[in-house]
Amino acid sequence: MTFKYIGRPVPPQDGFYKVTGTAQYTLDVELPGMLYAKLVTSTVPHAKIKKIDVSKALQVPGVVKVVVGKDFPYRVGMYAGDRDLLAIDKVRWVGHPVAAVLAESLEAAEKAIDLVDVEYEELPTVFDPLEALSPDAPLIHEKMEEYRHSPAFRPIPGTNIANKFTLVKGDVEKGFREADVIIEEKFYIPHVSHCFMEVHNVVAHYHLDGTVEIWTSWQNVAPIRQIMALSLGIPHNKIIVKIPYVGGGFGGKAGLGWEALVAILSKEAGYRPVKLVLSRKEQFTSAAVREGFYGFAKAGFKKDGRFIAYDVKFILDAGAYADYTVNVGRAVGYSADGCYEIPNIRVESLTVYTNKIPTTALRGFGYPESHWVLEQIMDKAAEKLGIDPAELRKINLVKPGISETCTGERLREDAGNPQKVLEVLLEEIGWGKPSEKPREPWKIRSKGLALFVKGPAQPPNASASAILKFNEDASIDLLIATGNFGQGTVTALMQIVAEEFGLPLEKIRVDYIRDTHKSAYTWQTVGSRGLFTDGIAILNAIEDAKKQIFKIASEVLRCPEDHLELVDGEVRVKGKPWEKIPLQDIVMGYTYPNGNSIGGPVIGRGVFMSTHTTYLDPETGQGNPTIFHTFGGTAVEIEVNLLTGEVEVLKGVQVLDLGKVINPLLVEQQVNGGFLMGLSIGLYEQIKFDERGWVVNPNFTNYYLIRIKDIPKQIIWKTVETPQSDGPYGARGVGELTMIGVAPAIANAIYRALRVKLNELPMSPENIWKALREQRPEIVDEALKKFLEFKKMVEVKK
Amino acid sequence: MVHKLSLIVNGIKRTVEVKDNEILLDVLRDKLKIKSLKAACWRGECGLCTVLLNGKLVKSCLVLAVEVDGSEIITVEGLVKDGELSPIQRAFIEHGAFQCGFCTPAFVLASHQLLIENPNPSEEEIKEKLGGIICRCGTYLEIIKAIKSASRFYQKK
Amino acid sequence: MSFGSPYFTLPEFTYHKPKTLREALELLEKYGDEAKVMAGGVGLIPFMKERLISPTHVIDIKEIAELKKLEYKKGEGLTIGATITFSELEKYQLLKEKYRALYQAVKLASDNIIRNRATLIGNICEAIPWVDGPIPLIAYGAEVEIKSLDEVRRTPVADFIKGPVEIDLKPGEIVTSIHLPDIPEEAKSGFLKFNTGSEFALLNIAAYLLITAKKKDVRLVYGAISSKPARALEAEKILLRDGDLNALISMAAIKASEELEVISDVLASEDYRRHLIKILTMKLLKELVEEV
Ligand SMILES: Cc1cc2nc3c(=O)[nH]c(=O)nc-3n(C[C@H](O)[C@H](O)[C@H](O)COP(=O)(O)OP(=O)(O)OC[C@H]3O[C@@H](n4cnc5c(N)ncnc54)[C@H](O)[C@@H]3O)c2cc1C
Ligand code: FES
Ligand code: FES
Repeated sequence: MTFKYIGRPVPPQDGFYKVTGTAQYTLDVELPGMLYAKLVTSTVPHAKIKKIDVSKALQVPGVVKVVVGKDFPYRVGMYAGDRDLLAIDKVRWVGHPVAAVLAESLEAAEKAIDLVDVEYEELPTVFDPLEALSPDAPLIHEKMEEYRHSPAFRPIPGTNIANKFTLVKGDVEKGFREADVIIEEKFYIPHVSHCFMEVHNVVAHYHLDGTVEIWTSWQNVAPIRQIMALSLGIPHNKIIVKIPYVGGGFGGKAGLGWEALVAILSKEAGYRPVKLVLSRKEQFTSAAVREGFYGFAKAGFKKDGRFIAYDVKFILDAGAYADYTVNVGRAVGYSADGCYEIPNIRVESLTVYTNKIPTTALRGFGYPESHWVLEQIMDKAAEKLGIDPAELRKINLVKPGISETCTGERLREDAGNPQKVLEVLLEEIGWGKPSEKPREPWKIRSKGLALFVKGPAQPPNASASAILKFNEDASIDLLIATGNFGQGTVTALMQIVAEEFGLPLEKIRVDYIRDTHKSAYTWQTVGSRGLFTDGIAILNAIEDAKKQIFKIASEVLRCPEDHLELVDGEVRVKGKPWEKIPLQDIVMGYTYPNGNSIGGPVIGRGVFMSTHTTYLDPETGQGNPTIFHTFGGTAVEIEVNLLTGEVEVLKGVQVLDLGKVINPLLVEQQVNGGFLMGLSIGLYEQIKFDERGWVVNPNFTNYYLIRIKDIPKQIIWKTVETPQSDGPYGARGVGELTMIGVAPAIANAIYRALRVKLNELPMSPENIWKALREQRPEIVDEALKKFLEFKKMVEVKK
Repeated sequence: MVHKLSLIVNGIKRTVEVKDNEILLDVLRDKLKIKSLKAACWRGECGLCTVLLNGKLVKSCLVLAVEVDGSEIITVEGLVKDGELSPIQRAFIEHGAFQCGFCTPAFVLASHQLLIENPNPSEEEIKEKLGGIICRCGTYLEIIKAIKSASRFYQKK
Repeated sequence: MSFGSPYFTLPEFTYHKPKTLREALELLEKYGDEAKVMAGGVGLIPFMKERLISPTHVIDIKEIAELKKLEYKKGEGLTIGATITFSELEKYQLLKEKYRALYQAVKLASDNIIRNRATLIGNICEAIPWVDGPIPLIAYGAEVEIKSLDEVRRTPVADFIKGPVEIDLKPGEIVTSIHLPDIPEEAKSGFLKFNTGSEFALLNIAAYLLITAKKKDVRLVYGAISSKPARALEAEKILLRDGDLNALISMAAIKASEELEVISDVLASEDYRRHLIKILTMKLLKELVEEV
């Protein structure tokens, strides 16, 4: 079948607005009479709030009100339900908001926060999640049992465990007894920040009639409304959440945001609109970031390479609040087996509170963490077994249609073709072919790879819907809530509509504002699910509209409905293309020459509901957690400077089984963007805390993000297309996938060349140098010798 | 003290009152409503607030508003002439050199200025001249492609 | 009180834009330590935002014609005025030809947009331990010229920078220019900055090397190692010896990595820095001696 739009590299449809600077973001929203909010944040990591004196702050000209937490003792959240709006009686991390100042100008608000006096009674602290698990560790949440958590999670009141996820399949002890080779390793990933360019910011207007209007830089409208309705007791239809263009999300704008707080501030200010914008420092220290992560893994293999036992424990340093991280803890747990069939597996994943910044999901949702562990285990096992790492993977890859994942889900036959992914990956990176020798003998080149699989982490009943309505000229307004924060999903969805109706793309319009009141419901756009779930809803809406169209046309053309087809914006009788009627004559109802009319305005509606996903068994972790699995692999060729520890990526390859590529340009953007983000997190990024729990690098000077000068020389991508029969045109999601394999592929490349373990991120020059010096000092000495003997420095430079 | 500034912003004469301690970025965005200008760090690191000030790229969060009385300022709005997009803007669209778009106005402006100064820049030069702007979505590769493809339009001029 | 300095707005101050140096000096005399000079503002504005300094008077020197000086005189050297930006220096051909270490530092400092505003003198006056400007200047033995209403004095850059954000400048004084002595044709100089995965240098180094049959003069200067830039005096002495240059270079590099005072901070540990001192010293010196 040939397509007009599907599979074509159509540029993202919002380009015009973005390159002209006319795209409106929440940061650009101003409402008449708007006040400015500024947070007062905690200077201590763990303390009782004894007294808050706001009298001096209130005297600053322009200050309207100062609000403190105990006046609004709400507990809010999506999964763990552990969050306060402002600290209620206790602060739990440095940066915890304790009060909010409302003023006529930002300048007045900023003056006033300095004058709010908070008296603290400090409590014992715990910063390390391993220590937080000890029975005599200070308790961070005393009343966990009162939190309204989702049934998918198991908090353990009386401890610092926000969620305990366990999974058991087969008999892991027996597996180890039968294993010929056993690998045991410990891994670590530090906290990282999403660093979307548009900071969290919200405008809220609590109207006198009780309606709340919210503008926010967030990924999704629906959860904001849901959380506000449940926690503040406002009826859903009185909460109107609007999201215009969003300056990046990466998971850091999902779940709970600042909206409920700012709504309350608006009410407190006498029903005036209020705007809260976090400074970048506050974004780093007062908003949620990605958790810190420990992985303790033991893996058993047979001599022939079969992976037969895997016992792994994950500990997530969730910080002071874990509302969304409990779900990361769950996802990291059930994704422990990656794309391998492991008959005996035991996973424990603990999401643990500490006195650090609260945490949340970040692109990949636990999968980068589980794969950082597993994909390095594979290479280390390969070495011990004397089997090529690629071969070892081949031996253990799941077989769709036959294999079960660790949650006991039998993979559907059309889930993807991981074998093919691996083959293409090996070919593109030139596996087995030695790298060119670098000109400088103190550098070495090497190749490494990692495979991955991912599905969306979501509740089993996470649905989506779409409404499409025709205008008089047969143009279409597509009413969807699909988040639009740069992924390009909306363009792909518009392509589907244009394709199905045979209309030019310009005739399809999706408003840039997502609006709980005007857009059809979708649960959330996270976990790379947007194209899949919302695409299916749209295809169903198209089907619905087509039915209405064909019904009218069949009467007009006097022809059974199933003899009709829609081509180039016309309904035609199959085989007699001259018997036709243009869409615009139908979509508002058809009018006969004498004025009699039939039909009426055509409105299509469609839904997506996942019918086969389940909760996971609380003890064994068995069940069906996701709606699709996208398989993929990353390979890199790198150059390591043995003198300084610097790593340069010369070539990156990403291979993905996307089922069907709806738009290669959009895929390429995700591949490149995900690769660069993976590289940045892999090589540079780390939120650093000092011994008082203070973040010492809350800015882009000391928290380095990849810049244009750091990009690899070459990134290529290939796709394997194994269509999934229930996906839109067979497609699966891609957005987060492209980041997962980057860091482990680099670590594996380094290990292959140097036999130096890098189980911790980031792989900064210093960390690589340290690892080299500790594990293989002779390599550094040898490199130094070559360096000193080297005569032609100048030539190299040129 | 309140100062009355007069400026030429994107070819239009504008006057605005500012206090000594106001920052150019805030005055342009909040008072003159030049919302194409974005900001992500407010301290010189991200480059999203970049404007052309009297023909030179500067980060407007590091400039006091009082300093620039009588100056000419160009932002990405100023690149659209008679409703026509500039070649670099068209190239950004064609190559998908944006994702969330938050950094895009700054990259477009800086790329435009780069091509004006040197219509045929090497990859090294592109990297150097755009080194002060951050794109978290990671569109750097597409941006380089867009600049290279727009280059011929600037050579003709 | 809040954690950190999360502000968007600046504290209040009065802005002055003198047209002459005399006017500027009078303002500085009048307001004493309540006043701060502003050149590019690239350092001052973030510092004010962070409330690290809160001057009540800001004296913008950009329009003072006398300070816009960039002049080389044979035998005397190079004078760089207080309002000369990094970008202006970058375009100054003589710098590239003669004062290579400074040229390289200028090109590597920050990014090209910032360099359009930032001045070299502001960079030195800011005295942040990781900056690039002072390192080559110390290697050339440059001096700053400081003026007040009743005094003109000169002091070596090396002494002018006293510690982190601490300089030898009294209320009422302004730095008007930097003087780099003229250097012999045979002299070589260079600068390296190690900042992979970092905005600022984890280590930067400048070397000045004059090794002829008649005269030997060597200076090795390091930044981002502790509270202020420092010379590796013992290592320099090694390089003044006679013998196989390559061997001397290794010895000097090792010596430098041992003799300097080095600290750990948010960018790097002491150990790694000492290692980088060794590697970068070798690299830079090897490059310089190989150059023809
Ligand atoms: C994002 C970013 C990245 C940076 N990266 C680098 C880098 O990689 N390398 C590097 O070296 N630097 C870097 N810097 C620092 C920057 O180079 C300096 O801030 C800049 O050079 C200061 O110059 P200025 O003219 O803007 O000084 P200003 O901001 O005007 O002044 C800085 C300080 O010096 C004082 N001062 C200025 N001129 C005089 C004078 N004539 N007499 C007396 N006092 C004076 C001021 O009162 C103020 O205290 C970076 C800065 C930023 C914001
Ligand atoms: S806002 Fe000006 S550089 Fe970031
Ligand atoms: S496109 Fe999102 S930051 Fe650049």
